Amino acid sequence: MIQPQTHLNVADNSGARELMCIRIIGASNRRYAHIGDVIVAVIKDAVPNMPLERSEVVRAVIVRTCKELKRDNGMIIRYDDNAAVVIDQEGNPKGTRVFGAIARELRQFNFTKIVSLAPEVL
Amino acid sequence: MWSSVRNRALSATINQWKSCINRSFCSSLINSTNANGNQVVELLNLEEVEKILTDVRADDVRIIPVTKQSEFANFVVVATGRSQWHVRNIAQALIYKVKQKQTGAKRMLLPSVEGQEGGNWIVIDSGSLIVHALDEKARAYYNLEQLWTSKESTNDQSQSQDLGQAFVKKRRINNSKKPAK
Repeated sequence: MIQPQTHLNVADNSGARELMCIRIIGASNRRYAHIGDVIVAVIKDAVPNMPLERSEVVRAVIVRTCKELKRDNGMIIRYDDNAAVVIDQEGNPKGTRVFGAIARELRQFNFTKIVSLAPEVL
Repeated sequence: MWSSVRNRALSATINQWKSCINRSFCSSLINSTNANGNQVVELLNLEEVEKILTDVRADDVRIIPVTKQSEFANFVVVATGRSQWHVRNIAQALIYKVKQKQTGAKRMLLPSVEGQEGGNWIVIDSGSLIVHALDEKARAYYNLEQLWTSKESTNDQSQSQDLGQAFVKKRRINNSKKPAK
């Protein structure tokens, strides 16, 4: 359940450390974003000497949420943090590696690139 | 004895889960054996992909078997295109092949294609076989081969074993009734 003003961790090596959601892309007036949704976010904290800087506006895909994700077979997945991966307008990830476990639902939402960079797929 | 029975039941349930996962999440892939156990047609197979990639003159084709590392795919194919047009043409050729294979079918099943507008990196995901077509810069930047070839140490089997061990209940050793020396 990511809404505007939610702070998220960054799960890649793009150079951003913390994001704040400012808008959810999809329908107008959409309340919450879940795993696999694209958001517009501001970089709140960044690693020094990297291409991405603080207070830059980027797009990101949510890859982990504290809110549980239910699957049809009854499996429930919830993570300890809210995390996102920074992407560009075309959907290419800015970083070259993704950290942490990632749900395989992302593949169905057409983020195979992110899934193929991830070390572990749940 | 009870623990062994429980163990078996647990492993059975875990296997069930796994099969469930495979069934429910690979609805896009039709090549695996279906519930009755008979083989269905594949969207793309490895030889065809290889042939198409040589036909469209994709450079530096690498085929990486990833059955160990990931449950969601068997092979990852990485190919380089010389320009954005070339990359897009590689993707188009593969999609054309899939369409050609299924001519006359009532319902065409197409692989999911990602990044076709850009042309820097196009992924064609046909279930068990994932084809990455990249231009030279993107290939050097993302370095997919290194990622997929070095990941062998973290295979899933050990993880599922860990999971199985975590569920096993260990009884503490009762020290109170030790025979006096």
